[in-house]
Amino acid sequence: MKKGKTARVTMLSTLVAVMAFVSACGGGGNSEGNGGESGSGGGDQVTLTMMHPWTAPNPDNDVYKARIAAFEEANPGIKIEQDSVAAAQYKTKLFTQAAANNLADINVVWPGADLDPLVNGNLLHPLNDYMDNWDGLVREGSLVGYSKNDNQYAIPTKQNFVDIIYYNKELLAQAGHDTFPDTYEGFITMIQDLKAAGITPISLGNKEKWPLQSSYMSVLTQRFAGADFLQKVVDGEADFNDPQFVKAVAVIDELTKLEAFNVDANNMDSVQAQDYLIQGKAAMHISSATVDGRIRINNEEGDKFGIALFPAVEGGAGEPGIAAGVSQFGIAIKSELDQAKHDAALKFMEYFVSEDLYKDLTSVGIMIPADIEIPEDASPYLKEMMELTSKGSTPVFDAVIPTAAAKEFENGLQALTVGRGTPEGVAQDTQNALGQ
Amino acid sequence: MHTLKRTKLAIFLGLLPSLIIYIGIAVVPIGLSLYYSLFNWDGITDKVFIGFDNFTKIFGDDIFWLSVKNNVIIMLTGLVGQIPLGLAIALLLNRSLKGASFFRTVSFLPVVISSVMVSLIWGMIYNTEYGFLNGFLGLIGLESWQRNWLGDPSWSMISLSVAYIWQNFGLYMIIFLAALQNIPAEVNEAAELDGSTGLHRVFRITVPMIRSTILVAVIYSISNSFRVFDLVQILTGGGPAHQTEVMTVYMYNAAFLSRQFGFGSAVSILILLFSLIVVSLVNKVGREKDA
Repeated sequence: MKKGKTARVTMLSTLVAVMAFVSACGGGGNSEGNGGESGSGGGDQVTLTMMHPWTAPNPDNDVYKARIAAFEEANPGIKIEQDSVAAAQYKTKLFTQAAANNLADINVVWPGADLDPLVNGNLLHPLNDYMDNWDGLVREGSLVGYSKNDNQYAIPTKQNFVDIIYYNKELLAQAGHDTFPDTYEGFITMIQDLKAAGITPISLGNKEKWPLQSSYMSVLTQRFAGADFLQKVVDGEADFNDPQFVKAVAVIDELTKLEAFNVDANNMDSVQAQDYLIQGKAAMHISSATVDGRIRINNEEGDKFGIALFPAVEGGAGEPGIAAGVSQFGIAIKSELDQAKHDAALKFMEYFVSEDLYKDLTSVGIMIPADIEIPEDASPYLKEMMELTSKGSTPVFDAVIPTAAAKEFENGLQALTVGRGTPEGVAQDTQNALGQ
Repeated sequence: MHTLKRTKLAIFLGLLPSLIIYIGIAVVPIGLSLYYSLFNWDGITDKVFIGFDNFTKIFGDDIFWLSVKNNVIIMLTGLVGQIPLGLAIALLLNRSLKGASFFRTVSFLPVVISSVMVSLIWGMIYNTEYGFLNGFLGLIGLESWQRNWLGDPSWSMISLSVAYIWQNFGLYMIIFLAALQNIPAEVNEAAELDGSTGLHRVFRITVPMIRSTILVAVIYSISNSFRVFDLVQILTGGGPAHQTEVMTVYMYNAAFLSRQFGFGSAVSILILLFSLIVVSLVNKVGREKDA
């Protein structure tokens, strides 16, 4: 009898526990409730959540993480709970969290087309009242991508160029080229010579599909169709069927037909493709300026590698020498935080996005969107990179073109690399996706 | 009557917790997806009601039909690969074999390993440059057989199917093994006395005896094939050029990468419909034979 009773009590309490669990889940899963407790109820201790993409083995990522640690040390009352998500998945997670109205308190965001949905959903807190902190430090031009309707939503921490061509001087010399070509014809000839010498001309890691879109097509679009082409497309003044744009897409087709890429280009990620270049398995790799840290600055054999931009194309509408740039890693605060968290988040912003951060980044060879004195002992590679990219910049493809169309474009480009589809078809499909 | 009523209440109370959980994590989300599928929605800004436009758009999309085709391939792979292989190995292990439990464990291992690990392992096997498969082919002098297993559109689906068979056949093996051990010894003895041995006995006695288990395995294998996602997502991401995209990957790309949650919800409703249709067809055919 007694045993039966215990069993019944156990079952009943389990039932109650399950019900409580289920109803808690049903109650909206609002993290605000949990966070608020530690903010207001628990005395001085405030816990802020922060989501960031700083996981790859790049020197800037270490600087960012060290800066967060330094902030926590200087402010024992504030704890930063980090959620680090690999860069390739970061945006997906960010927007999924945003859709669930469940953003972290502090987020790393991208400018332009990637910022729009967050702003339209009123998910970010405008920083207009606090801009004094960064006046005269952060370049006006780099703030533009993070401002909308006269509100500033984030402060960028890094200046990146996505289309730097890293090349192995020794391999180029083996194919009979001592300098990097400055015309498209010369570039193609060099690829043919490399092929003839049995060297893989370009290492590409396009499994995640963004490299061709970002590192290749941003600058190709500028060279062939002009710097303002993408914005015109978004505004409806031009469209992707434009013959100049089709010619730009056709470059990918031509490179594929020349077998310029490694055969497993679609099975590896960009870090593996960098390894191919570093290990001498390919003569060139096109990627962001950040990668210079791995390829040259922190590489004992770094002087084997040179940097260049995509050469001039005959009859192209854009001027050569321009690189595709983006002010990256904007730091933004979630809207509607309670007072304690809001104050703590601002304190973090002030500390994190500061001259010290920019100095630390510069010292590991990362370009920044701020005007500070470049220290004498800065890496000569950094100076070379700054020199190379000093002639102005053109926007990155997916910073201007809305996501659905950019994704369609990425798929079309990948299809070209396995010999499916045509440049015209890819352009048409992208235009269709934009129209939806 | 009185006792029965009380029992019913007890049954209901007993079922309630799992019922609530089931409704919460299965029925409600399906209802929500159905609701979202009628909207043009990026997940963040306001929803725009568009009726069945998402569905017309999906039906007009070649890539969706390609993903359906790939799902059918995966389904057939499960039916003609996993189940016969699982049955064959179960038959082999269902006798006094030295080290039978070792082989049983080895065959079941892939089912226990997380499918992310399985995908990464096969990614390494298939790798063009340093992969095990190409390396092995090179070692035995079959360089001409080396392929870009995952990157070549004409091979990628086959490569995926092999990995899919390897990942799941162990589950069916265990199910069949359990069923085989439930066959009464008298039946086998009688068969033996009647002179039925070898393959003849397998097809005339064993398979009919575990028919209902096979039917369950077939249904499970089919519904499993509609859910395949992680293997494809990690091995190829649906690439190259959509060649290995299955419906779940198509849905994921639409909802989470292109941020069209309404469209993605519509795809998920179609996945549900398709698998319901196929499973109920199989169920019907199976039951008819039973009758």
